[in-house]
Amino acid sequence: MAKQVENNIKLGVFVMTGLLAMMIAFYLIGNNTGMFKSSFTLKVRFVVLDGLREGNNILFSGLQAGTVKSITIINDSTMEVAMQIDSKLKTFIHNTALVAIGTEGLMGNKVVNIQPVKATGQLVNDGDYLKAKKYIGMDEMLETLSKTNNNVATISEALKTTVLKLDTSAIFTLLNDKEIGISIKSSLKNLNTATNNTSELTGSLNKVALHIKQGKGAAGLLLTDTGFESNLKTSMLKIKSASENVNKASVQLKTMATNINNDITYGKGALHTVLRDSAISQKINISMSNLQKGSEGFTQIIEALKHNFLVRGYFRRQEKTQKKDSLNKLSIN
Amino acid sequence: MPVSKITEPSESNKISKGEPVIIIEHLFKSFGKNVVLKDFNLKVYGQENVVVLGKSGAGKSVLIKCIIGLLKPDRGKILVFGNNIPELSPDELDKVRTKIGFLFQANALYDSMTIRENLEFPLRRHWIGLKQKEVDKMVLEALDNVGLRNTLEMMPIELSGGMLKRIALARTLILKPEIILYDEPTTGLDPVTAREIDKLILKLQKKFKTSSIVISHDMNCVKTIADRVVLLLDGICYAEGTYDELEHSEDEKIKQFFE
Amino acid sequence: MALIQDIRDFFDETGSLTKFAGNFFTNGLKPRYEVKEVLAQSYSIGYKSLPLIGLTNFIMGLVLTMQLRPSLVKYGVESQLPVMVGIAIVREIGPVIAALIFAGKIGSSIGAELGSMKVTEQIDAMEVSGTNPYKYLVATRVLATTLMLPILTILGDGISLIGAYIGVNINSVTSLHLFFIQVFHSLTFSDLIPAIIKTFFFGFAVGMVGCYKGFNSVKGTRGVGISANSAVVLSSVLIFVIDLLVVQFTNLLGLN
Repeated sequence: MAKQVENNIKLGVFVMTGLLAMMIAFYLIGNNTGMFKSSFTLKVRFVVLDGLREGNNILFSGLQAGTVKSITIINDSTMEVAMQIDSKLKTFIHNTALVAIGTEGLMGNKVVNIQPVKATGQLVNDGDYLKAKKYIGMDEMLETLSKTNNNVATISEALKTTVLKLDTSAIFTLLNDKEIGISIKSSLKNLNTATNNTSELTGSLNKVALHIKQGKGAAGLLLTDTGFESNLKTSMLKIKSASENVNKASVQLKTMATNINNDITYGKGALHTVLRDSAISQKINISMSNLQKGSEGFTQIIEALKHNFLVRGYFRRQEKTQKKDSLNKLSIN
Repeated sequence: MPVSKITEPSESNKISKGEPVIIIEHLFKSFGKNVVLKDFNLKVYGQENVVVLGKSGAGKSVLIKCIIGLLKPDRGKILVFGNNIPELSPDELDKVRTKIGFLFQANALYDSMTIRENLEFPLRRHWIGLKQKEVDKMVLEALDNVGLRNTLEMMPIELSGGMLKRIALARTLILKPEIILYDEPTTGLDPVTAREIDKLILKLQKKFKTSSIVISHDMNCVKTIADRVVLLLDGICYAEGTYDELEHSEDEKIKQFFE
Repeated sequence: MALIQDIRDFFDETGSLTKFAGNFFTNGLKPRYEVKEVLAQSYSIGYKSLPLIGLTNFIMGLVLTMQLRPSLVKYGVESQLPVMVGIAIVREIGPVIAALIFAGKIGSSIGAELGSMKVTEQIDAMEVSGTNPYKYLVATRVLATTLMLPILTILGDGISLIGAYIGVNINSVTSLHLFFIQVFHSLTFSDLIPAIIKTFFFGFAVGMVGCYKGFNSVKGTRGVGISANSAVVLSSVLIFVIDLLVVQFTNLLGLN
């Protein structure tokens, strides 16, 4: 008998614990739905609900405010959502507040967000309608992202075309041609040698003239020899003409040098354009810097994209192929 | 067909002549295609011990289970104190059952209960509102009758076969029934214990002045207990008479039981 | 022929089980009430099963958490682990695991107990002693299993959630308070109530099948063994069938 009483007590404790656990569970869940709090109702009409269900949470400025009580279809483009809101919040919600459907986390449950608006209105009453705000759903986010991607693609295409054009232009050929520089250099060297030779020749002529005056050397002998006078005269004439010729040559040389100089300083032609035309060079400068900026910007975009989880995989793959390519190049070199 | 010799119980075998307490008329019972009882008739008088003899599977147990209402016969009447058992409602049946004790072949003691609880069980079930004091008194009295007072708080599993049989008998007798049905009371017991049980049955029989139907194929038991022997063969009451009458029968089928 | 016989046997068994169960409502719930016996059975069926069911549910909560974590980490929603585990436990794992363990422990013990009572004529003895064995043995046990399994399930759910909490804390740190807020915040009545209601059916099935198999046990120790064994098998299968029906029904009612 005593044992039976004891067993019954144990059973009682067991059953009461179970019921208590159940009551706690009910209370905790009931708290979510606001069952045990005093509440009032607000209504809002949406065009689309996007999976909002009865029992979904309602947040007021991010604070748990209540749950969706019922959803009624008014017509094919109007859904009325009745919201059960904690009475405590009645003194904070104005009738100008906007209501939007959002998502808990990335893929979580739908929630209804009530956002207060700066413009003050009257406080809400039970059964009031609030205005719905278009919400940004996952779909729209993805759509925007897709547009952005298209833009990036277009920009990079344009950039690519520009670079290709630059690559094939004359200036770039000129800039790239190594031989031009070398031939200019050798031309200048030759000019220098010619000038030096002319100067030497002139010096030698002077000496010869002095010797002749002094009657030294063969020429002097010749001069003193009357028999040779006429010969000398002819010789002198010839020398004179030769020296004139030399003079002419040197003048021509000078002209040529001047010409070259002019060519370099003012002259026309591709070389000049490259070396002297400041306007063009400035332009090239600018375009080069633009190019650089552009590519920097592009790099930034690419870098940003790299961090985007959606295309991360693509870039990882890209990196891998690049590495492989460079390795290949190294082995070829 | 051998003669079904229905004789009135002789005056000498009875303590006092009584009215028939059990009347079985035209009883039929079959399990599927296996016909066990076909047109069985029997009368049991007050304070008379009737032993039903028969082969295994002859339908002896079926017979007494029909009497107490555990099995429903296909046809026929079973009158116990004038109540036709197959037609009684459960409540009426319970009422009649308080006057009938049943000793099961396997004792049927509740092995989840102590001996005390086993004995209390029929008391509390039949007589609701009995005081604990009275219950205790009756339990002890019943145990005294079988001489096993010291087993009161033991579990059935702790007792030997003979002791269990006595406890079962005590439980059967606790309601002071007027009719007791014994289903092979000595089966599975050693001969010495079997004789003890026989004597106990007889002693209690005299003490409580009960009528009884005993099913047995233990001839010693039959000899000790029986006022009258009924031979159940092929679903009918094949022969009837005192032990001596049947022992000296010339019928081949009867003879084989007494060899 | 054998096949036809098997099919006949199947429907015969189904029919008699249904009849046996129907008896519970027509006779079993009428007076006289076996209050004492219901309490005794509830004690041995409910209270004494708690350690076993508690242990299995605890392990289940722990293991489920550890198994779910990698997938959630892959999708970057590891913080949702308590929510996932909580819903899985409350809606399905808790009730079904508890019911299966219950079927194994209680279904077999009822099947064996009533089977051996049947074989040793204790059931007949009871009937002779002015007791309706169906009411005394079957109704009390079925009532006890029907009422105790929901309580065991609720306690088992709680223990399972503690297991899940430990599972969450193996790889990261969460406070018990935050864990339970996360779990209960994600739960709704439509998660909890159908899950609890179905355990009543589970309990009823386990008790009823155990009693039916015991009551119809064939003679001999082998018969008792068969009763115990087939009680467990049939009640386990029935648990899944009921589970399926309940999920269909709750879907139909829009409670999901």
